[in-house]
Amino acid sequence: MNRTFLLQQVLNGLAIGSVYAIFALGYTLIFSVLRIINFTHGAIFTIGAYATYALTGSQFGINGLLAGATLPFALPFVLALLGGSVVAAVSGVIVERLAFRPLRARGADPLLTLVSSLGVAVALVNITQYLFGAEPYSYPDPLQGLPTAMNFGTAAAPVLVRTVQVVIFGVSMVMLVLLTYLMNATRTGKALRAVAEDMTTSSLLGIDTDRLVLLTFVISGFLGGVTGTLIGLSVGVAGPYFGIAFGLKGLAVIVLGGLGDVPGAVVGGLVIGLAEAFVPAQYIAYREAVPFALLFVVLLVRPQGLLGRAQVQKV
Amino acid sequence: MASFLATYDFLLVSMVLAAVLALTLYLPLMAGQLSVASPGFYALGGYIAAIMSTRIFPPGPGLYPVSLVLLEMVVAAVLSGALGLAVGVPALRLRGIFLALATIAFVQILGVVALNLQITGGAIGIFGIPQPFANPIQYMWLAVPLLLVSMLFVARLERTRTGRALIALREDELAAAAMGVNPTYHKVLAFTTSAVLAGAVGAVSAHFINTWNSRQGTFDTSVNLMAFVLVGGSRTFVGPVVGGLVLTALPEALRGIAGVGLLPGWLAEFLRDGRLIIFGVLIAVGTVFFPHGLITPGLLRRLGRWRARAR
Repeated sequence: MNRTFLLQQVLNGLAIGSVYAIFALGYTLIFSVLRIINFTHGAIFTIGAYATYALTGSQFGINGLLAGATLPFALPFVLALLGGSVVAAVSGVIVERLAFRPLRARGADPLLTLVSSLGVAVALVNITQYLFGAEPYSYPDPLQGLPTAMNFGTAAAPVLVRTVQVVIFGVSMVMLVLLTYLMNATRTGKALRAVAEDMTTSSLLGIDTDRLVLLTFVISGFLGGVTGTLIGLSVGVAGPYFGIAFGLKGLAVIVLGGLGDVPGAVVGGLVIGLAEAFVPAQYIAYREAVPFALLFVVLLVRPQGLLGRAQVQKV
Repeated sequence: MASFLATYDFLLVSMVLAAVLALTLYLPLMAGQLSVASPGFYALGGYIAAIMSTRIFPPGPGLYPVSLVLLEMVVAAVLSGALGLAVGVPALRLRGIFLALATIAFVQILGVVALNLQITGGAIGIFGIPQPFANPIQYMWLAVPLLLVSMLFVARLERTRTGRALIALREDELAAAAMGVNPTYHKVLAFTTSAVLAGAVGAVSAHFINTWNSRQGTFDTSVNLMAFVLVGGSRTFVGPVVGGLVLTALPEALRGIAGVGLLPGWLAEFLRDGRLIIFGVLIAVGTVFFPHGLITPGLLRRLGRWRARAR
């Protein structure tokens, strides 16, 4: 393995890892506040990817109820990405109101909430399939005119990375910076962290916890939508179930980072991205198993995650 | 009756097999452990039967001997049980969400391995699995006894010391441990029993659906099983069995309702094509309004009293 190849794989791993990271942050934020795993996150990812596709003015296929439908306008890709993510955020809010709040009001078991969110995820993915069909879609190429790959090395020893990878890395970093700013430098972020620490106490201190729970779902949904579009840009939108598979991968990221641990989710995402990039070529078919093998091993060896501290069980 | 059986032969056998599979999710849940690993063992059992019947006992002319299917079921059950023990001992130290996640990972890993090994036929899988019966409905001879035996087993279990220990663990692990119930031993026992049963069901299913590939026993199956148990009822073995039977029949029933022609066209079309949407909504609504499922021990007691009074 020579140095340029190594560097190339590191860059590829970081690019995909950064997308895993912002996707996993969507899970992590909700877990840190509500102590539940929101299985609808993968379905929100699907919704984001489809909404962006629609907003670019593209046509849907022939299988769904809305066969051949197009919007009467077409947005440039950047605006479609934003719009699609807003649609995803709104879906996140609807899910919160319809599925999570009734269970919270009843003080339901977290496992029951997990199952309920799975039900909602199955419904959402199948509504998408019902409306738009199951065929794969790809976005109208927003990078037209740019070279397909960028060289980060010298002409003699090229380190080539697909331009798409560079773009998704850039967008992920922007999201990460915005989120870090929101969490650490604003009043809202402080309130969010307080609610994550202790919901009852923060409510007693005059924080509107219900509003913040809603905000968490908005942010999480937005991040899910952005990821759906970015992955769709990189490898195409492979049908509605695509999000469920990606959602399961995201679980590996949050477990690796430690459930509810925000910096951990970023580290976990990058570690899994790099681990996937370094699967030797002859075992490439097993790459899909890497996140899950890591998940399994980490759960057995270090259930608190890479960065987490062991929790003492209170009796 | 004969034409009913002939039309719905495939569905009826699927219903019974689904009910047995629902019990495999119920077993660890008796001890309060949400494990979705059984689709993995189901897939393994299917591969064992598929490999044994196509490679080790290559089919001769005529029907495949039922005795060999029974042998495959035993081998699948034993090997699944062994894998269950090997996975269960480390994994059942985890609890709650962590166990659910670990078992999801287990199913995913098995799926990728099955997709890539040569012996499992890679992406194509194994097809042309020999048939022990001339008619699909005759699979009932295997499926119904399997369901009855496992129901009897779980019903008896609920009344033995071991079963009561499992239920005590579900209600309060710490209190149960303080009373001398060994949590790890009992959880691993429930998990391994579930693996044994899932392996046996897989072996029957592989023959029944004639082809076996990495799309069998995936996360989708896990979701279905959770629906069977949580909608049916998670506090008595009757719940998962009824859940498995009814929810497997539900898509066909909806299709039937849609076909009658009394409904407006759009609704009929939705019932026909939107079955999985309804399925998902049922899971979500069920968990909100019936956290212990539709069939609860209380309901069964009331039914019992009502029958006693009617007599």
